[in-house]
Amino acid sequence: MSELRKDIVTGRWVIIASERSKRPDDFRPAGAVPKEEVSAFCPFCEGNESKTPPEVFALRREGTAPDGPGWRVRVVTNKFPALSPGAPPPRPEGGLFQSMPGVGVHEVVIENPDHAKELVDLDTGHILDVLDVFRMRIGAIEENFHYQYVQVFKNKGKEAGASLSHPHSQIVATPIVPKRVKEEVYGAERLFRANRECVFCRTIAEESRLGERLVLRNGDFAVLAPFASRSPFEMAIYPLRHSPFFTGTTRDELASMAIVIKTVLGRLKSMLSDPPFNFVLHQAPNPTVSSKAWPGIRGYFHWHLEILPVLTKVAGFEWGTGFYINPVPPETAAGYLRETS
Amino acid sequence: MKKILLVEDEKPLCLLYEEELGAEGYAVTSVHDADSALEALKRVAFDLIITDIRMPGKDGVELISRIMGMRKDVPLIINTAYQSYKEDFMTWAADAYVVKSSSLDELKARIRELIKG
Repeated sequence: MSELRKDIVTGRWVIIASERSKRPDDFRPAGAVPKEEVSAFCPFCEGNESKTPPEVFALRREGTAPDGPGWRVRVVTNKFPALSPGAPPPRPEGGLFQSMPGVGVHEVVIENPDHAKELVDLDTGHILDVLDVFRMRIGAIEENFHYQYVQVFKNKGKEAGASLSHPHSQIVATPIVPKRVKEEVYGAERLFRANRECVFCRTIAEESRLGERLVLRNGDFAVLAPFASRSPFEMAIYPLRHSPFFTGTTRDELASMAIVIKTVLGRLKSMLSDPPFNFVLHQAPNPTVSSKAWPGIRGYFHWHLEILPVLTKVAGFEWGTGFYINPVPPETAAGYLRETS
Repeated sequence: MKKILLVEDEKPLCLLYEEELGAEGYAVTSVHDADSALEALKRVAFDLIITDIRMPGKDGVELISRIMGMRKDVPLIINTAYQSYKEDFMTWAADAYVVKSSSLDELKARIRELIKG
């Protein structure tokens, strides 16, 4: 029989469909893995900088000019942004049809100049640079407090929403705190009030003790297959040091995180033949907003990175109920992820 | 006379564009699919390319990638009925993205900007 599980922070339920249980091989493409067709041209490749908007930030070799070759990580504004910078938008008035101007930030982080080198293929020093760029951009964007939430995410593979295979991530800052973020913040606050401790710290400690959903742990981070995983082989990377804001992470911690990311993405790639995935950073809203709206947030929110392989389809049931059906119990997923080299 | 390659699968639209852009002083060559466009590019040094996206065979996004592989210097305008292709990063390679409308004013303005002299 299947089992319903609840994420106690967000209140989201999932169905762990054990009778549909699948092994990693079931998610591998049948036959040879089709090579993604290599485009004759890519606007993100080194040498094609003129095809992107001017760079907002770049880590580049000394002596090289902006918007030319010589970079390691390059951040540009999205040419066709979902949200654009502007004056603080007025709050929507009540009524049936609430709207506000699409003010915000939409940036693309081109993770390396080489089209064929995915994040997992980079050396850990380069992954550290990518993480450091995330941290710096979040900090810079959050200086403007009407950007209330900054979302960092990566779509890898067509099925995960990537339109271009050149490795990249995106940063979108919104003028409101999104509903899902609020759910997580309010959930963490409620549990903190009830238990006088951070629910995420408690989860890390308990999962480390139990071990069955622990994928790996080093001196700074723990990787879990969450108890109420939405997708097969879902993982969440938690810093062991309690911190609500990704910007509060030290460079040493980012170096440690780079090793963790390379390890778990490498295992995912090896086990599932390079699956499409999304990763999403969860952090507290802009500190200025957080300090007013959730004064105690530093005590109860705990940033983390979720990695969601795209191996199942979100369809009618999921849209209708908000439930997800996961055919791989996270305990099984964690077992495979621990054993994969 | 500046030479424009128009890649558009709807033939009546090609006639309209040829007439309107011809009246502006451009020599317009129309082709109706991506393969024909790539062939034409091998034969003629066009000054500008206008391409639709949704076409039979290779779509305009793939065509753009191939054109850029051949001639990065030629100005390129995407002319499509859909905004949604803006989500495809390959469209960044184009110099302008014009959504089709009954008026060709915006298209003509972008052409003027991109073809100077």
